[in-house]
Amino acid sequence: MIEAICIGAVRGGTSIVFASLGETVTERSGVVNLGMEGSMLAGALAAYAVGIETGSVWLGAAAGMAAGLALSLVHAFLVLVRGANQIATGLAVTFLGLGITALYGQSYVSQGVNAFEVVPVPILSDIPFVGAVIFNHDPLTYLSFVAVPLLWWFLFHTSTGLRLRASGEGPGVLSAMGISPSASRWLAISAGGALAGLGGAQLATAFARTWSEDMVAGRGFIAVALVIFAGWNPLLTIVGAYLFSGAVAFQLELQANGTGISIFLLDAIPYVVVIVVLAALSRRRRHAAPAALDDVFQVDATLV
Amino acid sequence: MTSLSAPTEPEHTETRAAVAAESAGPDQPRAGTASLRVAGSMIAAFFVFTLLLLAKGVDPVEAYRAMWDSVTRDANSFGDVLVRLTPYLLAALATALPARAGLLNIGGEGQILLGAIGAMAMANALGQAVPRYPTLVLMAIAAMVSAALWAGIAVALRQFTGTSEAISTLLLNYLAFLALGWLVFGRWKDPGATGFPRSRILTDTERLPILFGRVHVGVVVAVIAAALLWAALRWTPWGFRLTVLGRNPEAARRAAFSTGKLTASALMLGGALAGLAGMLQVTGVEGQLRPQMMAGYGFTGVLAAWMVRHHPLRAIASSFLLAAIAIGGNGLKIRAGLSAASVNILMALLLLAVLGWGTHKVKAATT
Repeated sequence: MIEAICIGAVRGGTSIVFASLGETVTERSGVVNLGMEGSMLAGALAAYAVGIETGSVWLGAAAGMAAGLALSLVHAFLVLVRGANQIATGLAVTFLGLGITALYGQSYVSQGVNAFEVVPVPILSDIPFVGAVIFNHDPLTYLSFVAVPLLWWFLFHTSTGLRLRASGEGPGVLSAMGISPSASRWLAISAGGALAGLGGAQLATAFARTWSEDMVAGRGFIAVALVIFAGWNPLLTIVGAYLFSGAVAFQLELQANGTGISIFLLDAIPYVVVIVVLAALSRRRRHAAPAALDDVFQVDATLV
Repeated sequence: MTSLSAPTEPEHTETRAAVAAESAGPDQPRAGTASLRVAGSMIAAFFVFTLLLLAKGVDPVEAYRAMWDSVTRDANSFGDVLVRLTPYLLAALATALPARAGLLNIGGEGQILLGAIGAMAMANALGQAVPRYPTLVLMAIAAMVSAALWAGIAVALRQFTGTSEAISTLLLNYLAFLALGWLVFGRWKDPGATGFPRSRILTDTERLPILFGRVHVGVVVAVIAAALLWAALRWTPWGFRLTVLGRNPEAARRAAFSTGKLTASALMLGGALAGLAGMLQVTGVEGQLRPQMMAGYGFTGVLAAWMVRHHPLRAIASSFLLAAIAIGGNGLKIRAGLSAASVNILMALLLLAVLGWGTHKVKAATT
């Protein structure tokens, strides 16, 4: 049972890992993007449709990234050029993604899928437990294993990453040095959208292997919440994503074994876990938050 | 946009100065210019939607005609817009009130469902023993209290653990949805229901009075709520304190406002408004609880509130517009064969247009 839960955590968690990495990069630059849900949806549909039309799952995954990126550019333009409120814009972008995928995705609902196959890693997949949990997945999941440390290295060990973090911690300082924080933010938001799109691609063409309206079902929002859990550290985002999807796998196991508990109460477990963990960590994580994010949660209501 | 924004006349001169300093930007154009900008940006949103329809291979003229017809066909179809306006407006107020205090309530979705659950619980507890109007009032109170307590979870998480209310209210939506499913598939399931599980059907004493056609009195309740909230924010000390807290938290602290209580009152009263929406929808439209009921209403309310920068009276107009688009979506589905969710595009584009081009001051995010 433990093995099944761990396998489920990795299988179901990959799409959230990608989206959470995307939000981490975005927020590190000082911008919150609640449009991740929309970018994931766009990525899911694009990957699914292009996979069917071209017959290539990899072209599908690339299209998923492009679609997620395209949607995040809407957010970037409104926030960076037009100075729009990030929370409202992000939610609107998610709505936009929902609508666009509903409009264009209708003809693809429950069509045959061209899906990523599970590729066991030779030799390593024969290791008891570890082999099944880590080395027996679709290629995009392996890609996520690589993406996590790669992104960490990019953020903390490259000058572009340093500029990106500086635009989240002290955009004023950066401006004083003659470097525009907005260049870093354009990069961060679009990279974030592309990663979320890749997460959506994994969801549709490797995990669920189907397309249905609103199939992301809140994973994009969960990914945003998990960034706080991870303290804006890419290495910890994978822990958060697996914690959530592990809780999902756990309750699915309970359902399969017939405990007599209502499935709705079991379904609630992953969300309760995330809320409790966030509550326990929020104070400690406050100092980890990029300083520029303080302004994001300012609401500017008109006077009456 | 700015013509109504004269500051209130409070006793606290020091804090009033702080509010005025925060709100009076140097570059505020006249109200006429701002209205033109809003109108222009909204037309642009329709233009983009038209392009997306063309790209899908849909005749936009036919699509818009289908939408228009489903809104204006007869008194009933226009009534449907008013019926839909009701939950949108209350959900918008549930966003707008906390926003006054600088709080982000994205939990309207769940708070609406808690209202529906609270109303049903009260109806079950009363068991037909009470006449119609006291029953309805008690159901409304139960709905508002349930939803306020639900929003109170987000308040407690914010006060005691520092968890952002934006994140907690968002996550609580999923729990509310599951709670509804648990009840409807479980102890509240109507044994007589064939096919999809649902609760028992409400009796006539538990249904809202009808104004005409399908339009119930809830629409009047919602508009009155908007007017009352506007008046309370404008003319009461509580409203003034909320505004100070939202615009200049430091000034609120220096003036020794009890910020904890203000925060709690704003979020919980906001929740109560959304809960009222749930009660009105169940007693006025649905007549029962269903698993997928009212999906998206809370989020649409968030859009409606942001479209008018959280102004309670203007939220009536934005909720009406979004309700008309949503009902128009039914026409798209029936006549043009498109997914009804396609109109989410138009709603999102309208909000994006207002956010990016409708406001008078462009605050660069990079400062």
